[in-house]
Amino acid sequence: MSLLELKNVSKIYGELKALDNVNIHVDQGEWVAIMGPSGSGKSTMMNIIGCMDKPSLGEVLLDGVDISKESSRKLTDIRRDKIGLVFQQFHMVNYLTAVENVMVSQYYHSMPDEKEALDALELVGLRERAHHLPSQLSGGEQQRVCVARALINHPELILADEPTGNLDETNENIVLNLFSQLHKEGTTLIVVTHDPEVAEAAQRTIVLEHGRVAREVVNESFELGRKYI
Amino acid sequence: MSRRKMFLRMITASLLRRRSRMLVALLSIAIGAAILSGLVTIYYDVPRQMQAQFRSYGANVLLVPSEGAEMTLEGAGKALEGIPADQLLGRTPYRYVNVQMVRNQQTFVAAGTDFEQVKTTSPYFTVEGEYPSGIRQILVGKSVADTLGLKVGSVAELSYRPAASGSETGAAEIKPGDTLAGSAEGFGQGPVYVTLTLDDEMKIAEITVDVSSQTEEFGGQCGEEFFTRRFLGKSLPLQEGEIDAVSGATVTSEALVSAVNSARPTENVTAVTGNTLNLRVTGILETGGKEEGYIFMSLEDLGVLTGENGRLDVMELSVSAGAEELAGYVDALNGSGSGVAARLVKRITNSETAVLGKLQSLVFLVTAVVLLLTMICVSTTMMAVVTERRKEIGLRKALGASDGSIRTEFLGEGMFLGMLGGLLGAVLGFGFAQIISVNVFGGSITLQPLLVPVTMIVSMAISALSCLLPIRNAVAIDPALVLKGE
Repeated sequence: MSLLELKNVSKIYGELKALDNVNIHVDQGEWVAIMGPSGSGKSTMMNIIGCMDKPSLGEVLLDGVDISKESSRKLTDIRRDKIGLVFQQFHMVNYLTAVENVMVSQYYHSMPDEKEALDALELVGLRERAHHLPSQLSGGEQQRVCVARALINHPELILADEPTGNLDETNENIVLNLFSQLHKEGTTLIVVTHDPEVAEAAQRTIVLEHGRVAREVVNESFELGRKYI
Repeated sequence: MSRRKMFLRMITASLLRRRSRMLVALLSIAIGAAILSGLVTIYYDVPRQMQAQFRSYGANVLLVPSEGAEMTLEGAGKALEGIPADQLLGRTPYRYVNVQMVRNQQTFVAAGTDFEQVKTTSPYFTVEGEYPSGIRQILVGKSVADTLGLKVGSVAELSYRPAASGSETGAAEIKPGDTLAGSAEGFGQGPVYVTLTLDDEMKIAEITVDVSSQTEEFGGQCGEEFFTRRFLGKSLPLQEGEIDAVSGATVTSEALVSAVNSARPTENVTAVTGNTLNLRVTGILETGGKEEGYIFMSLEDLGVLTGENGRLDVMELSVSAGAEELAGYVDALNGSGSGVAARLVKRITNSETAVLGKLQSLVFLVTAVVLLLTMICVSTTMMAVVTERRKEIGLRKALGASDGSIRTEFLGEGMFLGMLGGLLGAVLGFGFAQIISVNVFGGSITLQPLLVPVTMIVSMAISALSCLLPIRNAVAIDPALVLKGE
């Protein structure tokens, strides 16, 4: 059953077609990587899937609902309820502690619950660092906090934009292990990356070029030996 | 944890952990609030401060006997019981009589008074030498001293001549061509004198009047030619209504008529009768006003000289009160039925009101400008805060914050800052007002406890208002911003 479906989606800025008649679908529980060089339309697609932008043409079905025509207020609600975001630059509120950053996500979603937030940090191995400010955390630690923040509201989809782009190999592995774990638990993951290694960790890679889907690759290695847990 | 608790936790964290930026905003609010509360304190305290200053201009209320009644020290004291002692700064009794200098038979106005009180109601009196402090001592006006060649330490022999009322003086035949002199009690402050010459038909040929004891603006007009002319060619005795009174000076006009009717050949009147006293001059008075023509002595000495005690012509009061309060006291005195009539010295009270009004509108204006400046300052700081936190706002929106949440958070932060700044400002403002008060007005002020919450509320409102524009910018931030790499 598909969780996300893009049907004939185009995004046009004047003369420029950032996305040109794109069709993709992502099944529930699937882990998909989106690859492509700069200017291939990755960011635009990410914005549309993340409910932060609307396509010029086409339909975007998220969980069976067409989100391509919704108002931005409605899009905010959908994003809050269904999507967990992980960014390349981590983006933590710099004057809030790790656990508070996780709770911010709860605050906008429903009810802040410190215990639940601490459990989420436990999951990413940062229970001990819960009361540290971002400035006291390493990049890898910050990104793990962001993963905890993304999953705290049990979203249907975790959307990650270059999640390992600013991390060293050790931390990259930690984050990918976390994704793997989430995948096993049934969370749908879409990871935008230009790093083939990160893409290979996913079940399937969609390659974008000039705003079109150039090809789709099923990563056979995924089912075989697992590098990540 | 409730949402509200998380909200407060975020706001306090934002303020406490981003100290330097918030300190600037807090300081600008605090300084604005300080100046605001300081000026408001001064605005309300200035009248009180200035009233004390204004009292150096002299008496602002006059007490005179009401019609047909006599005023005594005791009676006036009783009537004044309604005015709180701390507001009644001075009460100077005056009784005016005519006295003669024995040496040359010249007539002067003698004023019996209480010198301790004179210092309070006429602080602008300049005395060469000293105020009398014992019996048989006098203070003489500069022009009297000049006329008589009196100096500090000289002794003057004065005698009292009762206000002549013909019948008492022993009537003398009035013949054509006679020169007559007469006197009568004028308005409040003393007697009036006339000297007139009759022609062959027993009509008034010439008349001179002395109304120097009368209030200059009112009874004083009766000394002018346009009025004295009305007596010329009239036969004695004058009939009621024969001489048109000067409007505003009816009492003095009528007093002159009765003085004319009581006038007798001069040799009968000038005879020195009554008591004679030797008095030592302790000081010479310079005021630049009519007081320079008077001889001042204690009420006791005047009593000895005239043989009668207690009766007062006027009492000058110095009351520290605002215009309305003062008018209230005057009304109360007039309505008390205690035999005294009170009136405001308009010249003083009006100028007080005018000066106060101008001062207060100045303070008001400055306050408005400061308010505006504070708003601009807070608004600029908040604008900088929004710019600085674009990423964070984008993140919050990406995490699902609605426009309303963003608005509430920034407004909350602004108002929290406003509250803190207001509290700080109220404290600083009191210090500020105190410094101004001590240095400019020379007196300290009391803290108005109500001003603290009011300042806080006003600061909160101003911060909220200043945040409106920055908040609009914050709400407009695109959440997709966070997806763009640097």
